[in-house]
Amino acid sequence: MGAQNRYKGNFQGTDSIIELYGVSTVYAGEKRPAIKDITFSIEKGEYVLISGPNGAGKTTLLETILGLLKPRSGKIKLLGYEIPRRALEARKLCSYVPQDFIRSPDEVFKAKEVVAMGIASNRPLGKLRRDDWRRVEEALELLGISDLAERPIGKLSGGQQQKVFIARALVRDPRVLFLDEPFSALDSKSRIFLSDLLEELHEEDKTILLVAHAPPELKSIDREIYMVEGRIEKVIVH
Amino acid sequence: MSLIIYAILASAISGSLCGVSGTLISRLRISTLVFAIAHGALCGAALGLAIGADTLITAISIAILTAMIIGPISDATGIPSSTIAMVLFSIYNALTFIFILLSPGPALAAEKVGGILWGSVLAVTNRFLTLLIATLFLYVLILRILWRRFQSILFDRELAESEGVNTKLYVYLLIILVGVIITLSLKIVGGFLVFSLLYIPAACSMRISDHLTGRITSSAIIGSLSGISGVLVSFYLNLPIGACIVIAASIIFVISILIAYIK
Repeated sequence: MGAQNRYKGNFQGTDSIIELYGVSTVYAGEKRPAIKDITFSIEKGEYVLISGPNGAGKTTLLETILGLLKPRSGKIKLLGYEIPRRALEARKLCSYVPQDFIRSPDEVFKAKEVVAMGIASNRPLGKLRRDDWRRVEEALELLGISDLAERPIGKLSGGQQQKVFIARALVRDPRVLFLDEPFSALDSKSRIFLSDLLEELHEEDKTILLVAHAPPELKSIDREIYMVEGRIEKVIVH
Repeated sequence: MSLIIYAILASAISGSLCGVSGTLISRLRISTLVFAIAHGALCGAALGLAIGADTLITAISIAILTAMIIGPISDATGIPSSTIAMVLFSIYNALTFIFILLSPGPALAAEKVGGILWGSVLAVTNRFLTLLIATLFLYVLILRILWRRFQSILFDRELAESEGVNTKLYVYLLIILVGVIITLSLKIVGGFLVFSLLYIPAACSMRISDHLTGRITSSAIIGSLSGISGVLVSFYLNLPIGACIVIAASIIFVISILIAYIK
């Protein structure tokens, strides 16, 4: 409550892509907040790493910013939209790669269909245009998984599945990219490739929020937000 | 048209609608919710009997009401929607028995009670068949128009939500449609067995096809076949229509297991 009041005057009128003021999120049935009194803002084109030990609240923070979790207190703005009230509009301009992506072997959707869903979300009634499929092919090619396009995602390895989800995020050409442990299932070669790819996106002025427990060498990170027990412990400016 | 043709047509349509719905419900993991809706429809039909109203209208009303209240109650109380669905299921069962006993005339009169508990061919009137055909057209139309949206939600509801899809809207639309389908099917199959017609064709289709559209098509065909063969057996052996349809569906399920085993 204190934090909310403290930042009340500053909440409007900034050009930040993401703004959080005194945000706390509590899971249903829990007393202790998963994140507590979080305040920071992220400018357009920033590449921010959110790190910290297990249970630090990194995923909760991402999902709260996206409005997938409702904050108990505080204020959030994403791309100028108030969250969670106008979350649907803001999310259309974002992409999210979740931490839990592994599908069971009986999952029937093909890799290319999963990637196409990323575009369909932004189309009226989900109808795809002819050139959308070309974009899907390009995204699969970028991730080096064109040969897996026709295979059911459940039959792919963990790393291959993770690449499909990254392709789905990129095909949307998002303004803000939320990545939750995107390196977790990748081999060392793919980790370096993704790290370089994120660097390129950063150069293209995309805003990137990356949650990583043990990140590989990331060269162009602007800031690192280190979390412990639901709070921001320190912010390291690179 | 003769009664048997009406019954075959209605059972085939009802079976295919239930089959498709079962496949979609299984993917969305909302089985308990639909279970409560099915029993809400049964309770509504019993209420209709008790107050002398049209059982179709009372059944549809309670089915849709159930579909609409579970989510908001869950959001307001923080109790999982599956728990609320199971509580409602218990309440509906209790109320069903009370309403049946309160209905005018001799309690547990076979024709009256049988109509809602184990279905009846006598339920298949001109009006009923028209309603069923209209529901079929509406269902196919909605699924065709919104298929890409549903596909995304069926794959991963939370991910679709994170991409700005109003998943609640689409899931509620589907639940309401399923509520109407259950209510209509309840007249033929009966309140105790309608759930089986939702899940047995869906379970068969999982063994037959490796693709979602294939599973939807095959569950529609299996549901339809179960309906037709159930009606024929019911007429031939003079047994309750609902029970015959579900047994026919179960036999197809066993055959699908055997085929999968032989393969």
